[in-house]
Amino acid sequence: MGDVILTMKGIDKSFPGVHALDHVNLEVRKGEVHALMGENGAGKSTLMKVLTGIYSKDSGTITYEGKEVEFTNPREAQDAGIVIVHQELNMMGHLTVAQNIFIGREFMKGKLIDDKKMNEEAKKLFDQLGIDIDPKETMSRLTVGKQQMCEIAKAISHDAKVIVFDEPSAALTEAEIEELFKIIRDLRNKQMGIVYISHRMDEIKVITDRVTVMRDGGYVGTLITKDSTKDDIINMMVGRVIYEDPKTESAVPKDAPVVLKVEHLNAGKMVRDVSFELRKGEILGFSGLMGAGRTETARALFGADPKESGDVYVNGNKVDIKTPQDAVKYGIGYLSEDRKRYGIVVGKTVAENSTMASLENFMKGMFIDKKKEDEVAQQYVETLKTKTPSVDQLVVNLSGGNQQKVVIAKWLVRNCDILIFDEPTRGIDVGAKSEIYQLMSELAAQGKSIIMISSEMTEILRMSDRIVVMCEGKKTGELDISEATQERIMHAATLRD
Amino acid sequence: MDKNKFEKFKQNPIVKKIGLNRIVLLCVMVLLYLLFALITPMLKANANFVSFARLISLLKYAYFMGFLSLGVTFVIATGGIDFSIGPVMFCGALVSGYLLTSKGWPLPVCLIICILVGTAFGLLNGVLVSYAGLPSFITSMASMMLAKGIGSIFTKTQSVSWPQAGDPNGWFRNLVGVKVGTVEIPVGLFILIFAAIICAVILNKTMAGRYILSIGSNREAVRLSGVNTKKWETLAYVICGTLAGMAAIFYVAKNTTVLPGLGDTFNNEAIAGCVMGGTSMTGGIASISGTLIGVLIIALLQEGIMAMGFQINYQYIITGLIVLTVVYTDLRSRSRRN
Amino acid sequence: MSEKKKGNAFTNNPLVKAVGLQKIVVVLVLILLVVVFSVASSAFRQYSTLLSVLDCTYYLALLGIGVTFCLITGGVDLSIGTGMFCYALVGGYLITKQETPVIVGIVVTVLCGLLVGTINGLIVSKGGHAPFLATLCTMMIVRGMGAIITGNSSITWPSAKAPNGWTRLIFKMDVGGTKVPIGLLWVLILAVVMSIFLNKSRPGRYIIAIGSNKEATRLSGVNVAKYQTLAYMISGVFTGLAALAYSSAFQSMIPGGGGGIELNAIGGAIIGGTSMSGGMGTISGTIIGVFLMSVLQLGLPMVGLQANWQQVIIGLVLIIAVYIDVLKNKRLA
Repeated sequence: MGDVILTMKGIDKSFPGVHALDHVNLEVRKGEVHALMGENGAGKSTLMKVLTGIYSKDSGTITYEGKEVEFTNPREAQDAGIVIVHQELNMMGHLTVAQNIFIGREFMKGKLIDDKKMNEEAKKLFDQLGIDIDPKETMSRLTVGKQQMCEIAKAISHDAKVIVFDEPSAALTEAEIEELFKIIRDLRNKQMGIVYISHRMDEIKVITDRVTVMRDGGYVGTLITKDSTKDDIINMMVGRVIYEDPKTESAVPKDAPVVLKVEHLNAGKMVRDVSFELRKGEILGFSGLMGAGRTETARALFGADPKESGDVYVNGNKVDIKTPQDAVKYGIGYLSEDRKRYGIVVGKTVAENSTMASLENFMKGMFIDKKKEDEVAQQYVETLKTKTPSVDQLVVNLSGGNQQKVVIAKWLVRNCDILIFDEPTRGIDVGAKSEIYQLMSELAAQGKSIIMISSEMTEILRMSDRIVVMCEGKKTGELDISEATQERIMHAATLRD
Repeated sequence: MDKNKFEKFKQNPIVKKIGLNRIVLLCVMVLLYLLFALITPMLKANANFVSFARLISLLKYAYFMGFLSLGVTFVIATGGIDFSIGPVMFCGALVSGYLLTSKGWPLPVCLIICILVGTAFGLLNGVLVSYAGLPSFITSMASMMLAKGIGSIFTKTQSVSWPQAGDPNGWFRNLVGVKVGTVEIPVGLFILIFAAIICAVILNKTMAGRYILSIGSNREAVRLSGVNTKKWETLAYVICGTLAGMAAIFYVAKNTTVLPGLGDTFNNEAIAGCVMGGTSMTGGIASISGTLIGVLIIALLQEGIMAMGFQINYQYIITGLIVLTVVYTDLRSRSRRN
Repeated sequence: MSEKKKGNAFTNNPLVKAVGLQKIVVVLVLILLVVVFSVASSAFRQYSTLLSVLDCTYYLALLGIGVTFCLITGGVDLSIGTGMFCYALVGGYLITKQETPVIVGIVVTVLCGLLVGTINGLIVSKGGHAPFLATLCTMMIVRGMGAIITGNSSITWPSAKAPNGWTRLIFKMDVGGTKVPIGLLWVLILAVVMSIFLNKSRPGRYIIAIGSNKEATRLSGVNVAKYQTLAYMISGVFTGLAALAYSSAFQSMIPGGGGGIELNAIGGAIIGGTSMSGGMGTISGTIIGVFLMSVLQLGLPMVGLQANWQQVIIGLVLIIAVYIDVLKNKRLA
């Protein structure tokens, strides 16, 4: 590790109603890979947005190469040598690779763009990184991994001195991750300062030199990676030990009837020949890395996306689910990972959202029985302990955890027996999280069957009775909770052909 | 201090019930009326804006505009738009008027056909938008061309004149107003208000309205709740088309003669009335009473501009500016809230 | 299976890839249409018909080139049809009623286009309005303006024989009694220039980038509002040029007219492969597309269909073209 190149000190940032960053510190040296860790919503991305001028800070100082700086837009940060490789790839899909890399600073020949030179320069960059990508290829035709390599090439072409990787490995295959790490080590050897944001503990141990941990918008501390254990880091992230002991034994009787059977489900690249069973009162965990095809499986099963082939049986009867309507008819409910987009209708009230899936039961002749609707909604607000001033509150004004409860209420009002929870605690604060867990356990005890898709290993081990593991669209493992360990799940989750 | 008073005013239960937006609109309407009443005599000698005849004329304009506006409110509530309503109204009036005057079909049948023409176009738009996934604005512009073309083809590019009040088939004009002695009773106003109440009930109290508004707010979430979003979205366009067909009856009752190939200016005025009334172009929020007030303002503007002796062309310009301003305010307040 | 493979082999052919499958199909349809019309109608085979088709193509092509830029940014410009009439009316009014020099009339016509285009651009990029709504409003405004400025009377630009009639010869030269469609040359030159501008200049590159991913373009440090505005300005200027083409080819213009022409131009662009969802589009495709539109417009009456069928057919063509575009985007996603 070399000299300090970047220091962020006492960074504070508030949004209306949220104290997003509370006096956060970060120090990056030349030639180091510095991990920035924290749970979802801890403020990592916000901090990086403050660094690159997307947000302006309320207070605190940023010192870069010995001078205090304040960037007002990403372009200024870029010109100074601070570049982000984004989580959501920022690419123009219709343009070529080279055109993407040099967007905003094209090589010119007189008044016209010199695409030939741009292709050559892009090629040089790729050679330097040891990657094989055709600069003339249209961006949208590349795999996600290749697109990310292009982003890195773009960062390097900016003469970057500090590169921020925002969850770069989320969508990559193992081979691509290997390639990525090789590149990152290369950059480190060239004395660049690298900030690496990730959730994956194993990666942190492999690639980083130091770890800064954030929690709930605040700064917790900085560790030297090789001198600290996983538990040290986890403890800093969660603050207190909230992770209960994992479940050791399935709560489902051996002879519980199968309520849902899926056979040879195929839907696009991400769902290949998936088969599994779900029993009454069971919580079936779906584990796997990001992009393993779990959400896609759920969506195809639910009829949200078209499927190519495969049979689905509900309570032993073969059913044909083509649309979400069919799925709901057969008593299946789906809680999406992306609540804002697929779960709640933000402009509607708690009551209106609660009855969204079963409005026909709230009709009095041609008209909606508002009284009955409000009563039932109120009843579920009480059972689920949803924090809302009234059932007439617009859901947009509720917190994430309470919004999630409204979505759960929607399916309970519908009286669904099979519930698919897709990342049920994503973006939800710690307290609400354990409430959701408790709720799921209660539902299972009442005889509801739950499929729980989760990327958090602790969540999987704590909640599931049985675990299905997926990798690259295929089912690569099925474990009873009594035999499941983190290692075995990880093994299956990285099992490739 | 002033701001506090304003906040208090906003929190007043009566104000909340009616809606601040609508109170402001009503004030605008009254002010506009007073303004015209004041200016008209200054610009034109012997001209007087304040008269019962003017009021009746204003209302007659508001009748058919009202039906158009009420209809398009449903479509805008889903987050879509319908630019075909004006020409569809004309198409309905041309087709049924031609059958009535040239083919001698009975009047009740023709009136029903007039409405059904509107329904058919609404269905076409709805299916193309929700089932085929086409953008609503371009779809409805294409069907605007279809409506103009079909209307012209049907009448062989001739204008159609509906029967006069004294004619045997002229009784449909009573839908607009009945003359008792020298006083004209604005029957149309009662019908329009009745229609508006039904629309408000559909939008706020029925399954259709609930889903139409929810689709406008978050289509995908509604679909994933197991709702047949395509069906309900199509219904919004069908309601819109049907109301455009009804508007045609009120149009010919006022204007008698319909020319082929026209009608598109009414789209914009209907949409203007709708957005002025507080219906959001981004969908999910709609107000029928607001639309009604909006339409009255549009009619008032039209009448005022005519009374002052200006060309109708000013109306186009003002309508364009109104829509831009109102939508801009809506966008601004939305982005401030987020 | 083998059929499908053959299809792939065809679509993967470098030449086909370079030209674009859709354009090849459209050209084939165009040839088919011309053959059918020529067989069915002797009138269609006349030289004068070709001239009429070209007269129609000039203004549609110019409108099409302009609106292609808007479409590529992911927007649209609905004011072009009415705008074209308005600007031609204003220019013609100056020349015929105010007796200003012809050149002034021409410049004012184009400047009107630029002005309205700039306003459109600013409303969309700075005001954040949906492009279709913003340009619809300006469409209403220019419609009213055109009528008000000309005092609600129709305007005819000076005829070819009149002393000021040289504007009529810009697009159609008279060589020893034969009319030579010289306008084709101007339109093609403009098309080539704009094509280079779109694909080889920075503004053009940014216009494509905005349509492909506006946020990413912004984060790359590109002044998105500026180039978005530019697209509408280009559309405005080309509408002004189209107004010249229109007034040099046709008789009088009625105030408030021109509505619906924008759909011919937009339809032509989409048929030529420009996507309604932005990021994708070519000038050459637009030229082919609007040519198809003009052939339809003139050919249909000649094979015995009532003139009003044009509107119906063009409406249907528009729906089909947009539907194909929607399917194409679905496949890409």
